[in-house]
Amino acid sequence: MKIDMKKLAAWFDDRLALTPIFKYMTKKEVPQHEHSFWYYTGSSILLFLFIQIVTGIMLALYYQPTLEGATDSIGRIMTELPLGWLIRSVHSWSSTFMIAFVMIHLLAIWFTKSYRKPREATWMTGMMLLVVSMVFGFTGYLLPWDDLSLSATKVGTNIPMAIPVVGKWVTQFLRGGGDVTGDTLTRFYLFHVCILPLVIFAILAVHILLVQKEGMSVPLKDEIAKKKVPALPFWPNFILREVVIWLVLLGVLLTISLAFAPSLELTADLMAPAPEGVKPEWYFLFLFQTLKIFPANMGPVTGEFVAVVLILIAVVAIFFLPFIDNKPEGKKGKLIQYLGVAGLIYAIVFSIWSLL
Amino acid sequence: MRKIRVLYLLVMVPVVLAPLAAVAQPSGVPPTVKDKAQIEAAVAAQAAPTQQAKPAPAPPAAKKPAAKKAEVKRTEPIVPAYSGIREKMAVIVFYVWLWFSIAVLIYFLRLWIKEADRVYKAKYYEPEESPRKDNPMAPVLGD
Amino acid sequence: MRIDNAYFTRRKFLNSILGGWLGAVAASFISPIVKFVWPPYKEPDEVKLVFADYSGMQPGEVKNFAWGSKPGLIKRAPDGSFIAWVGVCTHLDCNVAWLPDKKQFFCACHDGWYDENGTNVSGPPPKPLRRLESSVEGEDLFVRKPGVGAKT
Repeated sequence: MKIDMKKLAAWFDDRLALTPIFKYMTKKEVPQHEHSFWYYTGSSILLFLFIQIVTGIMLALYYQPTLEGATDSIGRIMTELPLGWLIRSVHSWSSTFMIAFVMIHLLAIWFTKSYRKPREATWMTGMMLLVVSMVFGFTGYLLPWDDLSLSATKVGTNIPMAIPVVGKWVTQFLRGGGDVTGDTLTRFYLFHVCILPLVIFAILAVHILLVQKEGMSVPLKDEIAKKKVPALPFWPNFILREVVIWLVLLGVLLTISLAFAPSLELTADLMAPAPEGVKPEWYFLFLFQTLKIFPANMGPVTGEFVAVVLILIAVVAIFFLPFIDNKPEGKKGKLIQYLGVAGLIYAIVFSIWSLL
Repeated sequence: MRKIRVLYLLVMVPVVLAPLAAVAQPSGVPPTVKDKAQIEAAVAAQAAPTQQAKPAPAPPAAKKPAAKKAEVKRTEPIVPAYSGIREKMAVIVFYVWLWFSIAVLIYFLRLWIKEADRVYKAKYYEPEESPRKDNPMAPVLGD
Repeated sequence: MRIDNAYFTRRKFLNSILGGWLGAVAASFISPIVKFVWPPYKEPDEVKLVFADYSGMQPGEVKNFAWGSKPGLIKRAPDGSFIAWVGVCTHLDCNVAWLPDKKQFFCACHDGWYDENGTNVSGPPPKPLRRLESSVEGEDLFVRKPGVGAKT
């Protein structure tokens, strides 16, 4: 029997309404200007997310989220399974790249003020995605269950305790009890492989839908001057350029993963004293250092409480930034621009300081 | 035309895949501390089979649990590392192959991008005037 | 429809009853879920140790024991009695270590120090180590939460 490909395509087109989707993609235009380069950061995040999903599923085939089995199962992945060490390395490095690109994406939008009306909701869903990505990193860090990851998790899950009343509940929820135990490991695994993926897909869908709805933003000065910015069709001109970037990033990721595969420390002992040099993942370092510089007690409250409240205020302020920065071309807009630069310098300086 | 295509595939597929296959095999699992210990144990067992066959009359009851524990508990971290010239060469070959492939792909992608931009600038496929306006995929799939 | 001098309509009244009822039903469904997700957390009231394991300690020596899922530290006082602490830093919950040559407890996470009486002396810890009571009863060494009497 000869299958008529044209008829088959028409059948699917009829049922799935593919033509309007393709029509939309050819009609969608991506503006070309001096800041266009930052448009590519979004699709780079998607590339790394895709790699995380594939390698994550592969690792989950052999990983055991139990007190006894966790470290040994990763040891088995690394030593017995073909190229297992590389899969783990790619998963670990890709998470680093993904969060780095989420941050670059966020800063690029901050500095070009693309969050201004009507894209406030896009910014807010983006902030949620940043938080979810960081929680992904935090939960994944415990899974190898070695000394360092155990202590880092103890510290991390204890931080909410600084907030009276609510904090204790949050900590107990995260740990599945008062202490970090095997229950915590199971919980973190569940978050990492089930709950967070559901959450990230839901928010991501809204985020991408909003980007399509509003179209790409143009630079502020062009918008004020009502200048018509030259544009390229999304399909195929822009997507081909994206593929070039993907290829380069894929090459960099593979090169680094092959050269610097993560090692596996000894199984964590719940009773052993904390090892020296307990550090979270690099993207938490500046927060870690912030907590460190506050004194034990500041008047009636602990220094930790003050630090946590300040960090929370900063996060909420950044979440609602489009509403704070409601006149982006005015003086306040300039000030917020400088605040962004100051925040970036602060994060870099504190991260380096914590490593010294 | 079709014959040339088949011939091209027959040549290109092995050219692209061969280095990958060659690399994937030796560098499958880089030896680790654990592996090394296993190899050493295996070599030792082969070197002295007679001694291993006849266990010394040591207190077996006391030793058994200790031996079991040693099996379960790892005492050194697992650190992936390449050992031997063969594995190091394999990695270098893989790097060269990887970046060469990326360069080749980007070369062709650039041609494609140039063509797509040219077609767009020439307004060849204006949706309203296009002879195939019902098929928006035409700019890409068109012959 | 509103009766004369009534504050709200009949519809509003019925809707609020329906809404309230639904809310109550939802709460009755959610509360067991919450209870399940937040497990009951119980720290031991007391742990029983074998006295013979600790009787040979010199004054000033410190040994570990298991206080539930946390480490405990027990020290021999010069008069032969025992002093016990929960071996967890009061700053951010890291396990502390006893450094015999410095005669101090040390938390490596954020460089916290406690002297040999468990008092925080330097670094971020806001409070001294948590004290536990201990008593020798026959062959056993009991470590208890302060305020929990002997069970016999």
